[in-house]
Amino acid sequence: MRKNSGLRPGFSVLSVVLLLLAPAAAILYGVYGLDNRKYLLVSLVILACAILSFFLLFEQRKPPARDLVTLAVLCSIAVAGRAAFFMLPQFKPVAAVVILTGVCLGGQAGFLVGAVSALVSNFFFGQGPNTPFQMFAFGLVGLLAGLFFRHARRKPKKLFLCVYGTLSVFILYGGVVNGGTLLISGLPLTPVSYLTVCASGIPFDLTHAAATAFFLFVLSGPMMEKMERMKRKYGLMQRDDDSE
Amino acid sequence: MAVFKLEDFSFTYAGETNPALHDISFSVTEGEFLLLCGLSGCGKTTLLRQLKPAIAPRGRRTGEILFNGQPLRLAPPRSQAAEIGYVMQSPEEQAVTDKVWHELAFGLENLGLESRAIRLRTAEMASFFGIQDWFERDVSSLSGGQKQLLNLAAVMAMQPKVLLLDEPTSQLDPIAAADFLAAVKKINVELGVAVMMVEQRLQEVFPLADRVAVMDRGAILIDAAPRNAGLKLMQTHHPMARALPSAMQIAGALGGDSPLPLTVREGRRWLRGFLRDGAPAREKPEQESKEEGEPAVLMKDCWFAYEKNGTDIIRDLSLRIPKQKLFCILGGNGTGKTTALRLMAGLQKPYRGKIRVSGKVAVLPQNPQTLFLKSTLAADLADMLGFAENRDAKVKEIAELTELTALLGRHPYDLSGGEQQRAALAKVLLTQPDLLLMDEPTKGLDAHFKIRFSEILRTLMRRGVSIVMVSHDIEFCAENADLCALFFNGNVAAQGRACPFFAGNSFYTTAANRISREWFAQAVTNGDVVEQCEKIQG
Amino acid sequence: MKTNDFAKLHPVILFTYFTAVILFSMFFMHPVFLAISFFCGFLWAVSLAPRETLRFTLKCILPLAVLMTVINPMINHAGLTVLLYVNDRPITLEACAYGAASAAMFSSVLLWFSCSNRIMTAEKFISLFGRAAPSFSLLLSMVMRFVPRFKAQTRAIAEAQDGLGRGVDSGSLPTRAKNGMKILSILTTWALENGVITADSMRARGYGLPGRGRFQIYRFDSRDKWMLTILSALIFAVLFGFIKGENSIRYFPFLSLPPFSPFSFFLYICYFLLCSYPMLFNAVCEVKYHGGF
Repeated sequence: MRKNSGLRPGFSVLSVVLLLLAPAAAILYGVYGLDNRKYLLVSLVILACAILSFFLLFEQRKPPARDLVTLAVLCSIAVAGRAAFFMLPQFKPVAAVVILTGVCLGGQAGFLVGAVSALVSNFFFGQGPNTPFQMFAFGLVGLLAGLFFRHARRKPKKLFLCVYGTLSVFILYGGVVNGGTLLISGLPLTPVSYLTVCASGIPFDLTHAAATAFFLFVLSGPMMEKMERMKRKYGLMQRDDDSE
Repeated sequence: MAVFKLEDFSFTYAGETNPALHDISFSVTEGEFLLLCGLSGCGKTTLLRQLKPAIAPRGRRTGEILFNGQPLRLAPPRSQAAEIGYVMQSPEEQAVTDKVWHELAFGLENLGLESRAIRLRTAEMASFFGIQDWFERDVSSLSGGQKQLLNLAAVMAMQPKVLLLDEPTSQLDPIAAADFLAAVKKINVELGVAVMMVEQRLQEVFPLADRVAVMDRGAILIDAAPRNAGLKLMQTHHPMARALPSAMQIAGALGGDSPLPLTVREGRRWLRGFLRDGAPAREKPEQESKEEGEPAVLMKDCWFAYEKNGTDIIRDLSLRIPKQKLFCILGGNGTGKTTALRLMAGLQKPYRGKIRVSGKVAVLPQNPQTLFLKSTLAADLADMLGFAENRDAKVKEIAELTELTALLGRHPYDLSGGEQQRAALAKVLLTQPDLLLMDEPTKGLDAHFKIRFSEILRTLMRRGVSIVMVSHDIEFCAENADLCALFFNGNVAAQGRACPFFAGNSFYTTAANRISREWFAQAVTNGDVVEQCEKIQG
Repeated sequence: MKTNDFAKLHPVILFTYFTAVILFSMFFMHPVFLAISFFCGFLWAVSLAPRETLRFTLKCILPLAVLMTVINPMINHAGLTVLLYVNDRPITLEACAYGAASAAMFSSVLLWFSCSNRIMTAEKFISLFGRAAPSFSLLLSMVMRFVPRFKAQTRAIAEAQDGLGRGVDSGSLPTRAKNGMKILSILTTWALENGVITADSMRARGYGLPGRGRFQIYRFDSRDKWMLTILSALIFAVLFGFIKGENSIRYFPFLSLPPFSPFSFFLYICYFLLCSYPMLFNAVCEVKYHGGF
């Protein structure tokens, strides 16, 4: 899918337009800027463009029914999977599901599942100013998982997955979402205030990272096996394998 | 004109050598109601899917399928999608979107209709089915029967010429199934849409059908009007004969010249004619005797509600369930049957009253798929035992008991519904329970599987297991239960040994009993009626 | 509020409204604008759900606001008007003012989101993308269908495990986590395998044919047209003021507000109308359609 649709003229034009919008907005705002709020606007515009371009890419693919259902299933597991851990609060399988999606079905699918899971999860728990940052952060976690592990000939080692899971959740997800909180809160944009925000989120981020590593350690084997079976039996997401 | 016409059609699955369907020639004419039946694995679903190219399995085809006189494979995809409606078994999985209105509109969106046209067609369909009140509801808020009706309506909104139905009522309770079948009949009669239906519930569908086709090992064995088809099945002692309507089975076993009856009403008339001379007066049902001995379950004055200050689901329930017996709990939806089972299993606690269960309890869940974890059946069963000694021997033993030995290497999801049910049973039995609780275990099983299932239950009871099952399946309970209880409003409305229990009910009883109750007080199963009649005949 | 006519407006209007108001609330740090936004947001949130809003305000917004007001001057030492020194670091008036403004900004954003969550349901949100991104909107709609179903199935699986004597909510933390994994694993297999049926059901109903349309259950009627016009006019007025620098404010190195003029008064009115738009709309509808209050 990366190869095929990335080259379609319709998409490239749109994505270029979108990606040009961001710097344009930045310049515009630089002129009329107000204190440090301009960084928030610029980052929101960039986030929106990034998320939108992935959605457009997805739209361009005209996904067949089985791919669409599988993506919907993965997003729903990421969201509803929390219910399996009703006895353990703070245990959220979202990141693990997103990473495994990236590994098994590619970075684009990883980004999509990450972003949509964050969005839908917030439909149930309430949208907030952090929604775009969460969407982007989970998307990024899935995208990079795809880029790192997708081209490996063999199945990625469990250890690497766990390390990636811990780091990506703690640094990528935590970093982006904490950055978002900082930008929204209106605190001065200094390393000190960034660290203050991060420190306030550390217990949460650590649990999240540890839970993700644990999920990946236990689930990566069976989950990949299940997805492989789906690919083998029902020819899921096959086109991009053929082109590679 | 024929909607579908098959000429010497054969089909072989990709990667296999034996054809799944061979030399099939038949046709479906305009406005006809065709029932397609056969044992599980005879190829009826495979055949039905061949008529809908979008979901036909991959493989090699010979012969021709004509749709409206043209080869089906040449029909444009758009007309294939719209004109051939297909409804599947599972009410849950078929619904794609979250809102009822969107589900109704989904097919029309795919056809690329304008919003205005979609609005009209969905409105029409919702009104035709009387589901307009649900229009803005969430699909997940509907019951199983309502969902299946919605699936039907969503297909009908595309205005098909022919409706293909693949066991659409197998996951529904009897009342929802009757509603669904009534809707199908209405479509057939009032809209003139041809119907081709694969179905297990022959009792209900036989009287509706214009024609019955029976399949056996990939070929069409019988293709005739319902009465003739039934007669042929019984004459050849085909296993499917066990699934025929009771009236038909009774009349067929007793013989006679008059045409076979299909419904209870016709059966009664037929029996009156048969017993013209020497009809005995109705005897009183025998009084039940009190059960003695240590019970498997004893419930005393139990009250239960899911929420504090909520409605009581179980009200003042006292129940005594003897050991090594099959105890069936019957009753409508929402009468507290399943809740009573959960109380016995210890999954819920009554807020008042006592429950005593002797020995170890295990529950066979309604959906066997809630149990499958591993990628082969053998591994899945072994997982139940952890690292116990002679694990493999135990797995082998249980597989033999449940007749799964040949399937141990398969993925649980590659098994058929009946096989999955037995696989789940095997898993549950590995916990070596003394009391086995089952919720609707015969749902979706065909007649043949039910017989095997009841044999397994008998073996278990001989080995000392007590069984309680909740069921809507009156015929199965009448054949196999030792004791029955009818639940109503959180309590037992009637209970007793199976035979007097059903004989004592007027409506909630088997078709055989409804046919014969005027003459025989104790005849509950088809076999009972035939036996009594033969006694009179000498 | 007896009825909520505002919620019945076309989703495009609702989305435009919330996007505009929330973005404006985020970016306008001018005290008058902050006050208007906070006041209207709070009032509307209370009228939508009095008890929840009061609880949310007391338990969540108030502590956060206090925290932000305090933290800002602690770590931000810019500004010229020094009030006092703590650990040799200056606490400035400007930083305090900025902290208070940030707190007001953040509180009003949260309040507006709480209103939006009540009005802008998932269904309305999904319908926005119907035409522009049909696959994405279908994906969202499918996820909304699956999530409650998966939750119910998770409960069924947990209960099935319980019925085998393997309770999930008992035992040590690792045991519970392991049981949770088992449930999740069973759920995944079930969901992926049965997804094939859903995909078949989609294809059987013509999914994948070229020229897929999208049914819009929401109609854009003439009232919607009028309301969108008014809304756009208000938004443009406020944006115009923003470009003119009317609602900008400088906090550092010293507080400086733009001079007050009739134009700024006009802008305040516009912003107030914008923020109280739903309440005004509901009030008008109450009088017009439902026979007064």
